[in-house]
Amino acid sequence: MSNKIHHLVQTMFPPDGSGLKPYEWMVNPTRQQQWIDNQGIFLWLAFFFSEIGAGLYFVSLFYEFKAGLILGWLITLILGGAIHILYLGNPLRAWRMIMKPKTSELSRGIWIIGVFAVMGFLQIISGSSFNVVFNIIMGILCLLIISHGFATMNVIRALPAWSSTMVLPLSVISGVWVGYQLLQFMFVVSKPAEIASGMEVWAEVFFFAYVLCIILYAWGTYHSSEIGKESIIMQGTGELKRISLIGVGGLGVALPLILTLIMWGGDTNAFWIFLRLASVFAGDLAVRYVIMKSAVYKPLLTRQ
Amino acid sequence: MPRWGMVIDVKRCIACWGCTIACKEEHFLPPGVFFNRVLIGETGKFPSSSKLIYPILCNHCSDAACVEACPTGATYVREDGIVAIDDTKCVGCRACLVSCPYQQRTYYDQKVKDKEYFPGQGKTEMELIGEKLYPFKLGTVIKCNFCSERIEDGLKKGLTPGKDEDASPACVNICPVNARVFGDLDDPNSEINRMIMEKKGKQLRKEFGTEPAVYYID
Repeated sequence: MSNKIHHLVQTMFPPDGSGLKPYEWMVNPTRQQQWIDNQGIFLWLAFFFSEIGAGLYFVSLFYEFKAGLILGWLITLILGGAIHILYLGNPLRAWRMIMKPKTSELSRGIWIIGVFAVMGFLQIISGSSFNVVFNIIMGILCLLIISHGFATMNVIRALPAWSSTMVLPLSVISGVWVGYQLLQFMFVVSKPAEIASGMEVWAEVFFFAYVLCIILYAWGTYHSSEIGKESIIMQGTGELKRISLIGVGGLGVALPLILTLIMWGGDTNAFWIFLRLASVFAGDLAVRYVIMKSAVYKPLLTRQ
Repeated sequence: MPRWGMVIDVKRCIACWGCTIACKEEHFLPPGVFFNRVLIGETGKFPSSSKLIYPILCNHCSDAACVEACPTGATYVREDGIVAIDDTKCVGCRACLVSCPYQQRTYYDQKVKDKEYFPGQGKTEMELIGEKLYPFKLGTVIKCNFCSERIEDGLKKGLTPGKDEDASPACVNICPVNARVFGDLDDPNSEINRMIMEKKGKQLRKEFGTEPAVYYID
């Protein structure tokens, strides 16, 4: 085939399936692409960073650790916020997203992030940072931000893999778990060893809760509908198989489990904690990636 | 105020793709972008299988998932029931696109704009004129608008959408077998309502709960 013809065929029928085949559109279960493919990858990163930043802020409130507050606030707003803006087609109009909090989850999220930015800044600069009222307000805001990304996906009824009941609990636990790992690492390098060691009890709790949420999500979605089943099968096959196996199974679950068992009872050290943090980071990114990538729409025509 | 809707008799449809092409011409759609599609599937198993032919377009739902999801109010339901997009308000978040269970929206970006009907040979005069006559804004979402420009112009001239060609959507005008009927869903005496009643018109995938304004007779 000459280069010219090859180019023509590639243009008309790109390998991603977006070519001139209008008669096949939505005839079979069709994967959502906008929020993960191409520019959509920004949204995946934006959700991740907003949530782990808010997670770090949340757990820092309990340990009254100001450096954690500052880092969490910065991750949420600078990394999470900036990457969100990069995703938009018209970033200069982003302010318009505050207009419809009544019906749009995205709009509600912008309000929450705005309030978090102002209140968080006030908490960080104030002399009595860990005032109980401040803590409660910021704690609630953090939980809302942690769940915001998946809540935005959860309200999309057309995608059973996202509207699954376990999506929100998984999101909250993952935000807290990764945030807690960041905090534990910050403590192990800056505070006496016994503090990080004492944190291990909660690390174990969060880790097992996280694994349980992943299992319940997969089980619940698989049994929710034919399309939900399709999504879970997609996670274990094809291009996602490797990411599910290595990313979710290996880095998100198996390696942290081994490291948690090694440090069982508080026998911690900086290297193990760093290794678990890196593994949990990559694993959680993989969890979010496969969930976002495997969401499929119900076909419009019934094939029997 | 009328509420515009459409009935498609799939038994009449011969899958000629006239609606698809007429729509592309009307809106000067670039390659790969379709506001109107004719889906072809099958049901049953050989030897008793049969073919399904369904022309699909934006359903202009009265309880539209895209309208709910839009954070800026750029996507809205007009008084006449048409789901429209105000491209001056669209931020390109694509929440509407992801929310639509019928997947009848397209994100218009540079990649889509740059596509040529004859790849590698530059844009034709027709494509260049189209970009001037019917410009889409980059970084926004586009979709079928029931040819609202034709409806509005027609109404100004005293014409009746659905009856007079100059006031009806291009896909309705082009259909050689009259499979598409356009009209006012709020008028109990309209042809569209008569067809829905007599031939038991159904909304596609009613279980999505979005109350489409497009009905199918099968």
